[in-house]
Amino acid sequence: MKRIKWLAALATVGMFVAACGGSSSGTSSSTANTGKVGGKLVIDNVSGSTWTCQFNPFNSAVLGPGITFAPVYEPLEFVNILQSGNPPVPMLATSSAWSNGFKTLTFTIRNGVTWTDGKPFSAADVAYTFNAMKSDKVIDLNALWSADGGPLTSVAVKGTNQVVFTFKAPSQPIFYFVADQTPIVPQHIWSALNQSKLHSYPDSQPVGTGPFMVSSCSPQNIKYTRNPHYWQSKAGHPVPMIKEVDYPAFLSNTPGNLFLAQGQAQWGGQYIPNVQSFYVGKDPAHRHIWFPPVLNVALVPNLSNPLLGKLPVRQAIAYALDKATISRLGEGGEQQPANQNGVVTPTFQSWVDSALTQPAYSPAKAQQLLKSAGFTKGSDGIYKDASGNRLAFTIKTISGYSDWDASLQVITQQLKAVGIAVTVQDENSTPYTSDIQGGHFQLAYAGSGGPAASPGPGPYYELRGWLFSGNIGSTNYSRFKSAQADALFNQYAGASQPQQVQIMHQVQKMMVDEIPFIPTTEGVDWYQYDTTNIGGWPTQSDPYAQPSPYSFPDNGQVLAHLYPSS
Amino acid sequence: MRYLTRRIGLFLVTLWAALTVNFIIPRVMPGNEAQAVLGTFRNINPAALHALQIQFGVNAHQSVLSSYFEYLGNCLTGQFGVTAQGVPVMSEIGSKLPWTLGLVGVTTVIAFLIGTLAGVASAWYRGGRLDAILPPALFIVSTIPVFFVGLLLIYVFAVKLNWLPLGGNYSVGATPSFSASFIWDVLKHALLPALSLVIVTSGLWVYSMRNNMITTIAEDYVKTGRAKGLPTRRVMFGYAGRNAILPNLTGFAMQLGYVLGGAIVIEYLFSYPGLGYLFYTATTDHDLPLMQGLFLFYTLAVLVCVLIADLLTAVLDPRTREA
Amino acid sequence: MAVTDISLAEHAPDVEVTGAPARFLRAVLGNKKAAAGAVILLVMVFVAAFPGLIAPDSPHATIYAQDAAPSSAHLLGTTQLGEDVFSQLIWSTRLTLLVTLVVSVIATFISMIVGVTAAYFGGITDRTLTVIIDVFLILPVLPLLILLAAYLPPGVTSLSIVLIITSWAFQARQLRSQGLSVRNRDFLVAARARGERGIYIILVEIVPTMSSLLAASFLALCVYIVGFAAALQFLGLGNSGQLMWGTMLYNAQQAAALEAGNAWWALGPGAAVALLGAGFALLNYAFDEIGNPALRPVRKRRRSRRRRGRAAA
Repeated sequence: MKRIKWLAALATVGMFVAACGGSSSGTSSSTANTGKVGGKLVIDNVSGSTWTCQFNPFNSAVLGPGITFAPVYEPLEFVNILQSGNPPVPMLATSSAWSNGFKTLTFTIRNGVTWTDGKPFSAADVAYTFNAMKSDKVIDLNALWSADGGPLTSVAVKGTNQVVFTFKAPSQPIFYFVADQTPIVPQHIWSALNQSKLHSYPDSQPVGTGPFMVSSCSPQNIKYTRNPHYWQSKAGHPVPMIKEVDYPAFLSNTPGNLFLAQGQAQWGGQYIPNVQSFYVGKDPAHRHIWFPPVLNVALVPNLSNPLLGKLPVRQAIAYALDKATISRLGEGGEQQPANQNGVVTPTFQSWVDSALTQPAYSPAKAQQLLKSAGFTKGSDGIYKDASGNRLAFTIKTISGYSDWDASLQVITQQLKAVGIAVTVQDENSTPYTSDIQGGHFQLAYAGSGGPAASPGPGPYYELRGWLFSGNIGSTNYSRFKSAQADALFNQYAGASQPQQVQIMHQVQKMMVDEIPFIPTTEGVDWYQYDTTNIGGWPTQSDPYAQPSPYSFPDNGQVLAHLYPSS
Repeated sequence: MRYLTRRIGLFLVTLWAALTVNFIIPRVMPGNEAQAVLGTFRNINPAALHALQIQFGVNAHQSVLSSYFEYLGNCLTGQFGVTAQGVPVMSEIGSKLPWTLGLVGVTTVIAFLIGTLAGVASAWYRGGRLDAILPPALFIVSTIPVFFVGLLLIYVFAVKLNWLPLGGNYSVGATPSFSASFIWDVLKHALLPALSLVIVTSGLWVYSMRNNMITTIAEDYVKTGRAKGLPTRRVMFGYAGRNAILPNLTGFAMQLGYVLGGAIVIEYLFSYPGLGYLFYTATTDHDLPLMQGLFLFYTLAVLVCVLIADLLTAVLDPRTREA
Repeated sequence: MAVTDISLAEHAPDVEVTGAPARFLRAVLGNKKAAAGAVILLVMVFVAAFPGLIAPDSPHATIYAQDAAPSSAHLLGTTQLGEDVFSQLIWSTRLTLLVTLVVSVIATFISMIVGVTAAYFGGITDRTLTVIIDVFLILPVLPLLILLAAYLPPGVTSLSIVLIITSWAFQARQLRSQGLSVRNRDFLVAARARGERGIYIILVEIVPTMSSLLAASFLALCVYIVGFAAALQFLGLGNSGQLMWGTMLYNAQQAAALEAGNAWWALGPGAAVALLGAGFALLNYAFDEIGNPALRPVRKRRRSRRRRGRAAA
């Protein structure tokens, strides 16, 4: 076990250095820690609208930009997706343990933590947070409770400092949503509200346990100031070391990108076209970028379509795509080509089944596959089957995603070269979402950036979203239904770690053999950072958290790590 | 009186039409905004979905007709609900209104003045060089799409020369106050958007004013004024101008709709957080309550202006009362 | 401008019926502004018809260096994907011009039918139609456009539909006034006496007399349509895959072309839109003086020094 982890860590680091060509060296150790509290951090992440000055961490509109969870509110334990082999980092819980065949989860809650209004934090707050989801189902955002379709059946305080979660079935993967993805809120404030309407509580002066507090908020800017009584502080080692944080609101990318390029912000979470010349080139000694991949972007066939339901057609599409070109032209090289096995690398390199051969770019092989399946090329250069049905499809995509549009232009040309005609159809995000969820499409471009399964510490989370039959209608867009796949995902929940790797190997084999969808590029966390005055940034060589300002609760980890430098 | 009654009647009919359009359009397109928002979580919680749907204003369990009457009732009592983010629509509109009002109000007045003066001068010195150049130049400029003027101004003054900021209404991190430095900051940010609007809309008023002036100048009372030996300026403005401007008032009010539209594009271009930008994001987000509130607001603004213009015309020009 | 001025339209004078094409040509050639407009439009039509002659590259060929600044090889630089901006600009002319003309023709046609029907039938029909026209005139155009476009599937068809819906009312009032002035002319009384149906009278008898007003209305509408179509696409409510100047602007804006160094990717199509609009507006000057002799340019009399306020004789 230890050896595999060590090898995996080494391989991960090696792959980071080798594969992520677009990012720079990331030497954070060049900035010296002054050891004193001070400095101001300015965050640059385009939220698309002015701030409403509400900080309710159960309001999905507020969660998205990362303004409340986790600078202010914190999770029980922090799970780092980028280092999925590592154990979780204790936060409000000092330890956790599964028992009863992964059906009982016990957390030991940390002592000595206080809320920012001075009241002590305890296990009761944790139990309250989860039980409140029963009174107001809307705040059960991850559908944990059994009444909302999840496996959780009870949450109760045990003794003075333990909380016990009981599940109706083995539920290892739920750990991520319970421990990492749920913000803990203070019982003494929230229990006084209307319990059935917790989701609409504005929470304009949030009380949390986290490293920062909201000191003022206007539609244009949120100002945070450090929490002087933050529990991570020790004598001689104050945490956090940054004194103030500004988080301005940007309505669109252009002013946001310019603000960053002019050096007025140090922490960016932006997609910047031509980032090298636009941003890095202005101060290459201090400005860095790093885009760790976390979630696939894919070309998704609707398996109920009679032509796309045929394996040779999907195989032909997979062989026809030159993902390196799609990545270069469509995403400006900022998103790496993806793998047909569905595993995002190098992030989850340790889960890859290297014995599997994946389809490589080969237009000749694509056409050969079509021919041997009985398709013939028509006079217009497009293949058709024996009944004359042409391989001509529409691809639905979200209007306004210019990088997707660019990638699709490349894909259109590549498919045309092997005799498959596709037309791109832009849709606004709402009809797009209901179309892909409802199966009203032939081909679709979907994944990271659009509505998609959320990532987790391992390929299981994303792939279950794409392939589990229970997700048809939500994230299983291709409508893939396989009893074998379902069984594998269910087994995973109760399996040991090496068994889980084996299970994922089998899922990968299914991805390669049956091609339920075709990952094209790997969606990334957008991240720019400036080391002129601030150090302690997450980097390729030190990926202690997902680095974007909008990743929660990873942003809390970053905020606690940063320090003013000389 | 009959004139006024007819105009108020038109006002009410237009209001009803706007409300109905506002109601129908989002319901025609399929698509579930709530589902789009929640689709990113692990599993969609059906209770959360339902609650969000109600918040979005689409209650699938209600018949369309009863939704319609409920909607009409809500509009008339000013209940527009909350936006997708949970903020009351009225307070969102209220917080953005001053910025758009400032921008659009000031630029419209300036553009009107420029255009009208140019029209009056061109008409008075008709046939001269001024008349040959100014009105066509202004008019052609007004056919240029306003966003292109904005793009040019951004390119020249913000990107190349770096004299003025690229967008926004005040600098990031500045705290709003009535201090001189803040006001200066606001003005700096408003300059390019305002300039774009003024350049493009000045031309709208030139021709109507000029043509009205030309027709008016031919009138007997103007000849009388000049024959009496009154100073030119007095005749130009006091006799001719005052009468020529009358038909312009209603046109002015109706052009307001066009100016408001231009403001939407300009606010988008400059990321200026006013009502225009809010409307744009509300429609692309399919934020139904906010969209409905804003569209209604726009329609009301134009209607009120038209009504005021009509009232003024009725008061100032006795001839219309006979109509 | 006779046709864009609402106030003047209420007193629209009688228009000569004979020799319309010859008169038009004389007006265009005689008026410098109109001639300039005609030249611009002819160039545009030529470019739309034969784009391959001017820009042999395919506009979608992503074969060049990405985001290049203008050079002799690429007059306007390249896009983020490596396409030649100049080629895209030229090839976009066709669809842009087509959409503008088709939408304006249909909108003018609807406008004419509604306006003349209201004028001819009078009474309740007139009052109802006038209310409808006024409602459409008052409803704020761009917000309505955005509202409609946001809910329809993005593309040229939706764009055309929403533009027609929001613009048909622009000229309806002028056309109605013109119809009113013609209503009681002798040839119409004769037609009615003959027993011809209303629709026949409208289409065959009345409309041809309004040809110059219709042409002027059509051109005025073109000016607005060009701008509004581009504005909608710029806001992202069009289909970025379809090649039009407005979608080029949108793509350029999304790629922050102005700031990234290939500014002509944005300024090029913007200038093209402005030029096309100006062309239509200039050409419309030819009709201005036909319609209202009082507005005909006054020929300067050399010997006169007092140029003030001399009314048209």
